[in-house]
This record gives sequence, C-alpha cells and structure tokens, in this order.
Amino acid sequence: MRGLAVGLIFIGSLLGQATAHAGKAMQLMQDRRYSEAAVEFEKALAADPNDDTVRIQYATCLFAQERNADARKQFEAARKRLGERPGLNYFLGQLDLRDNDFAAAIRRLEPLASDTSFPKATYYLGMAYLGEGERERATVALQRATKNVPNDPEPHYRLARLYSMTGRDEEAKREYRLYDGARETQRLVEGEGRACMDALQEQTLEKAREVCERIADPHDARRMLLLGQLYVGKGAFEDAVRPLRASVELEPELFDGWHYLGLSLYWLRRYSEALPALQKAAELNPRYFDTLNLLAATYHALGDDKAALPVMEQAHELNPEDAKLAAALERMRAQQKGK
Amino acid sequence: MLAMLAAASQAAQQGTGIATRGVSPQPRGKPSGLPFHARFSDVAAAAGLREPVICGPVGHTDYILESMGCGIAFIDYDNDGWLDIFTVTGTRRDGAVAGASNRLYKNNRDGTFKDVTREAGLIRQDWGFGVTIGDYNNDGFDDIFITQWGQNVLYRNNGDGTFTDVTQKAGLLHEGRHFGTGCTWVDYDRDGFLDLFVTSYVEFEFDRVPAAGKNPNCNFLGVPVYYGPRGLPPGRCWLYHNNGDGTFTDVTKALGIDKAKPAYNLTAMAADYFGTGRQGIYVACDSTPSLLFLNQNDGRFLEQGLEMGVSVNEDGNEQAGMGLGLGDFDCDGALDLLKTHFSEDTTVLYRDVGRGGFEDVSMRAGLGVETRYVGWGAGIQDFDNDGWPDLFWATGSVFPEVEKVHLEYPYKTPRVLFRNLGKGKFEELMEAAGPAIGEAHSSRGVAFGDFDNDGDVDILIMNVNEPPSLLRNDVSGGGHWLKVKLEGVKSNRGAIGSTVIASYGDRRQAQAVTAQASYLSVNDRRLHFGLGTAATADLEILWASGGRETVKSVSADKLVTISEGKGVVKSEALTGFPRRH
Repeated sequence: MRGLAVGLIFIGSLLGQATAHAGKAMQLMQDRRYSEAAVEFEKALAADPNDDTVRIQYATCLFAQERNADARKQFEAARKRLGERPGLNYFLGQLDLRDNDFAAAIRRLEPLASDTSFPKATYYLGMAYLGEGERERATVALQRATKNVPNDPEPHYRLARLYSMTGRDEEAKREYRLYDGARETQRLVEGEGRACMDALQEQTLEKAREVCERIADPHDARRMLLLGQLYVGKGAFEDAVRPLRASVELEPELFDGWHYLGLSLYWLRRYSEALPALQKAAELNPRYFDTLNLLAATYHALGDDKAALPVMEQAHELNPEDAKLAAALERMRAQQKGK
Repeated sequence: MLAMLAAASQAAQQGTGIATRGVSPQPRGKPSGLPFHARFSDVAAAAGLREPVICGPVGHTDYILESMGCGIAFIDYDNDGWLDIFTVTGTRRDGAVAGASNRLYKNNRDGTFKDVTREAGLIRQDWGFGVTIGDYNNDGFDDIFITQWGQNVLYRNNGDGTFTDVTQKAGLLHEGRHFGTGCTWVDYDRDGFLDLFVTSYVEFEFDRVPAAGKNPNCNFLGVPVYYGPRGLPPGRCWLYHNNGDGTFTDVTKALGIDKAKPAYNLTAMAADYFGTGRQGIYVACDSTPSLLFLNQNDGRFLEQGLEMGVSVNEDGNEQAGMGLGLGDFDCDGALDLLKTHFSEDTTVLYRDVGRGGFEDVSMRAGLGVETRYVGWGAGIQDFDNDGWPDLFWATGSVFPEVEKVHLEYPYKTPRVLFRNLGKGKFEELMEAAGPAIGEAHSSRGVAFGDFDNDGDVDILIMNVNEPPSLLRNDVSGGGHWLKVKLEGVKSNRGAIGSTVIASYGDRRQAQAVTAQASYLSVNDRRLHFGLGTAATADLEILWASGGRETVKSVSADKLVTISEGKGVVKSEALTGFPRRH
C-alpha cells in the first residue's frame, strides 16, 4: 500500500509539473515565442505523455515553426490515440501539401471541404489539386475558397495566377483586383497599427486617439481587437474597453478579445464587469496563466475568496515559479484554513 | 484575417519595418556527393583592392541611409579587353572620411589593379548607392551613371582615360533631394540610344526621421534599430528618354511609369523578359510588391508584376526584395529570375512559364534550406562550366547592434552558393566551393565577370565599411565554355537589352546583356556560357533593336565578338595571365 501511495504521489507531482510546463508553453505561444514554447511542451509531455490536448498544442506549435516532420509525428500520435478527427486531418493535410504529397493531402482535405469549421480547407485542397496537375478541380476548389474566406488575399492570388496560366484573362483580372483589395486592407491595417503605436508613444492620448480610431471598424472583430490591444499596450484601459467589447460581440469565441476586455476592466477596478469576461476567456482557454491569475484576483477583489482559491490553485499549477501568486496562494490557503 | 491581424500586430510590435515571413529553413537533404569544380579564393588584397567602401558609422546604424550599402561594377572603360572595376561609396553623417571616394581600378592584366580614380576625374565622396554602365552616346566608350541621396551623377567617358560630370548638361538633375537607388540603361524605344530608368527607395531627411533608439517601436528582438522603410514615404521611378544629342527628357509621366504603386524601390534590371523584342524593367522592391514594367505596343509601359507572378511570393505576400539575378537555370531557352530578401525568408527563384509569366519554384528547387541571412547581390551563373547555371548571393545584416545582444544574428555573414544539380534542383555548398564562400562580411553589391580572362566567372563583392572582396574562381574538371560579346549596330553599341540563346547538347540556355543587376551593380557584359562536355554551340541572338540573328557551330573555349548583322567578327582564345605565387 505504501508503494502505491508513493507511486500516486510521484504521479501527482509529475502531473503538476506537466501542467506547469504546459501553462508556460501556452504563455510563450501567446507571445509567439514558438521555439521556447516547444521546449516547455516537450517537458509537459515527458511528465504526462497521455495529455492529448497538450500533444495537439505542441504539434501546432511545431507546425507554426514549419518543423514539419516533428509536427507530423505529434499529430499522428494524437490521431492514433483519438482516432480520425477533422481538426487533425486539417493540419495533416497541410503537412502533406508542404511535403508535396498531393494525393495524401487531397484524401485528407476533401472531406473537410464542406465543413464550415475549416473555411480555408478548400484553399489547401485547391493547392493539392494544383500540385497533382488537376487544374479544373483546383479552379473549383479555389473559387470556393474565395467565397469561404473572401477577405483572405491568398486564395484570390492563387486563383488569379491559375486563371492567368490558363488564359482566362478577364477572370484573372477580376481576381487580381480582389486580391489587391484584400491585401490593401491588410496593409492599411498594418500602417494604421504602426501609426497608432507611434502616436501613443509620442503624442498625448487625446491626439493619439485621432490616429488610432482609424483602425476601428464596427463590423470587423479583428480590427476592433487590434485597436483594443494597442490601447491596452499603452495602459489606456478606458479607451480599450469599447473596441474590445465590440470584438467579442462580433466574434464571441475570440479568446484574446475576452482576455483583454477582462484585463482592462480589472485595471479600471470594474470587477463585476471583468468577472464574466475573464470567466469566458478561461472557458475558451483554460490553460492560460494570465487569464486565470486575473480571474482569481477578480474573485478576490469581489470578496469571493472561495471561488478565487481553486482558480489560484490552477494558475499556480500552470506557473509555480510566479512568486507573487505563490505567496498570495499561501496566504489564502491559511486564511481559508483559519475560517 | 486572423493571421493578417496577428502579423500586423507582430510586425508593429517588432517594429523592424521590413517584410519577412518568419520562415524556418527546410531540412537539408542528403548531399549529392558530386564534385564541384569551381573554387573561390578572395584575392582582393593581393590585387590591390585595399580601400574600404564607406557606408555610415562602424558598429551601429542610426538611419536607413547608412544601412543599404552600394553597388559595384565591372567596366572595361579603356576597351583593352580586360575588366576594370568601379566602386561606389557612401559617406558618414558626421563628416567626410579622409581619402574615401568612388574608385576606378584599372586592370593591370597581371592579377593586380591600379587605382586611377584621380587621373580619371572620378574623385567623389557622397551618399552613393547604385551604378549603371552603358555607352549612352554610342562613341564606343562606356559611361557611368550613379544614384545618390541628393542628386544622381552622369559621367561621360571621354575615351582618353578621363570622365566628365555631364549631369546638368544632360538634363538629369532633378528637383529636391531623393534617395536614389536602382538605375539601368534601357533602349525602350529601340532607336539605338540608351535611355535611362532610375528609382528611389524612400523619402528621407535626417531631421525628419527618428534615429535608432529614438522610437521605441523600432527594435529588432528588443534591440533599438533604425526607422524604416515601413513608416517612411515610398520612393518613385523615373524614365528619361535619350534625345541622341547628349541630353535626356523626362518621360516618366508620358509613358505611364508614374502609374505604378509607390514602392520601396531598389535594384532595377532591364531585359527582354518574354522574347518579344521589347524590353521590360523589373524592380526589386523592399517590403512592397516588386514592379515589372512591360513595354506595350504603343510605347507606353504598364506595371504588370502581379499579373506576371513576380510581384509577391506564392502566398501573395510582399517580400523585402533587394537583389536580382537573371539567367536560365533550367536551360529551356527562357530567362528566369532570382530575387533576394530579408532573413527568415527564402530567396525566390522564378521560372519563366511562358503564358502567365513566372512561377515561384523556390521550395521545389531546394532553396528553402537557407533562410538565415539577409540576401543582397545575386546572380544565376555557371561557375563550374558544367552547362547548368548555379546560384550565388551575398549576405549581410543591416543591424550591427543586434549581434551584441543576440549572438545568433551576426552582422557579418557568409556568402551563399547553390550548385545546379539539373532537373530544377539545387544543393547548397559551403566548404566545397572554396574558402571565400564561407568568409563573413556584411556585403551588398555583387558583380559577376571574368576579371582574369581565364574562362570562368569570378565574383566582385562590395562589403560595408571594408574593402571589396574579389573572389577568383579556379575551375577544374575540363568543362567547356563560351563567352559572347555583342556589338550593336542598329542596336545601342553595347547591345544592352539583347538576349543570346546558346544551344549545346540537349540544352538551350538564355542569357541577357544587362546594365544593372545583382544589387545596384553591373556585371561583365560578355556573356559566359558553361557548356559542359559540348565542344560547340549554336547561338541565336535577339538584338535590342528587335532583330534576330543565328550563328551556327561556334567553337568552345573562346571569346567571340558578334557584330549585329555581321555574325562573328572576332574569335579569341582567353588564356588569362600568369599567376603570381
């Protein structure tokens, strides 16, 4: 019995380590520090090889770094354990494409062509057809892709090139125009983002607002998110709330929108408004340390330490090295024991 | 959209202001194990090229003007059949550097060069960038045009070893101050006189642009760096018509050049890209879509880079276009393109696919293994005379400050050479191509040419704040070669804009006579064809005038001079000069 107990404690400790590494990895992923994130994911998986969620996150991290062979290995391992999943095939299909294995890419991506969860799958399918020399099928798939993701310049460009190659000059012109429009919008946003950052750095907030508000588009969640994030970066939380709220109203599954909205409201001491935003963010991404840390702090600020404690525990598991949180957790545990 | 905004946010946060894709290198395949018969050694110091080319301060770069470096040129200014060298120089904001100048080095035909700058009347130290060489007045002597921040300069070759600044007389002074970069002679109207195409990079004034460290958004991996190009007003293009009397007329607006989207223009390269008998102009643009001006039948130009597939990468994203190479890597008789970019991006190889323009084959060709360095001057040249053109580009970071914090981002980086394995595949060589390939410098302009007349292609490289490198190529293996020098009659004298297609064995290789290529630089105008085992080649010439001419069974291992309409007028063996030991 004692051996079993020791074993269970050891496993518990390993799982704790796994959570901590996974939490760190997620944080690094959020900051686009992929190679460091990959190292943390590896440590998390070494401690708990059965965590499929972490394995898939690790695989996407490798995918983002174009470490194609490594990413494939992890996606395949997840597929072995979980069976055929559209999400896995979406990435594996793209890896096939990167490896010029067009037939395999077609096999994986064809079933996803009508799945609305993967609007860009038709684009990758089109590229796979193109690789196989099936220009007609490629044309149809790319045409669908331009409808599925109309603001994405990539499918327009590929379709335009395909039309050019096949002598469909008028259609090519139209697609080049659509590509140009979509790309121009991107450039505009990039330019506006840069101008806003400069203005926030160099000018008064009042003057900077004039520059930054050019990013605002009440119909575009991502532009609103960007604007909110830029304000947050400057500490202009009051200004950040409106665009961030708009972003999550337009796209309710937008994790970053909820997180930054919660963060802004927290710093504005509007804790009761921050709470639902952070709860939603934690629901969308339960392994993101910053969100859990903020959520726990919000519960605490609202006087609900009972709710705060388990969230703090989760956050601590994700990042045991955070000394401030560890100390706060100790205090709260002691307080709760004393009650 | 997600990726776009994320990228926008990331780019804004990183604040480097330069387009890069964050591409990791592809895994390297198993080495072919095939011998490579070219070996490069840097002989610059022994040859007398010891003066540094000045480009801003050493160890830090406060402004974009100080980072871009200069072009370099092979020129036979005295028509003695031996390549001389012209180097463009920059300067420093805190004052001219004693003794620094643009330089003309005369080839002593013994492996050394003599600095003849002063005798030639070419002493000048300014913010120089690009160079184009061509005989604009058809007097049989090559003239020099250089771009600068400020005014550009046209030097007329007087034919007696001296040059005269004729910029004003030629009508080439422009209003205001521009950051001149790309420039190329191009006979766009086929009247036999070279016209002039010029680009500028960004609008720049020291007092209007924050220095490095003054704008916290301008940083590379957290290290403060200079501002731009993004965030700065883009440059523009000019086209000047040669009036045939030593003067030029600005036809930029009249011929539609001004209709192109404003861009951060760098190298300009003119050639008959599609064998139509009319020259187009391709401009490598930094962080904006590259431009391809195609000459329409009514004499006007239309910018069609996007439609021809050479504007952006295959994902539709602009790249940091710096240098351009032109050649025929797959030996199908059509000109292909090479364009260098920033680090963490691939150098792009475009294959001419006829209708529809060009196709990006970089990844398929195996270039994806190398994304570590910022690429500059580039060329598609057959270095080992095996009959398959190889690829070369010089590299160098633009941020000397960064290596002090991040050792993995050195300022001086090695050269890159990919040997052609045939069938559209390339293999990167390091030690196998000789010691000079691995030597690290922060290089910019590159010129390709046979300075020692020994039947191969040597490489001349401009290094920032260092003397140039001269990479002597010593080829073994016995591959045959053929050099072709064209003399225009109806075409401009130097036949700039003409294309030669050499047929040998089962291959047809196209090459073009250019007046600027690589990075703001000028190559040997004698076209060099490696022929492998073939002892003869048939030549088809598409003259800049629009005429065509065929020359059959030309013997290998010679330099042949072909005069327009007269066929081969001279054939000479090149034996090089005695090597010093």
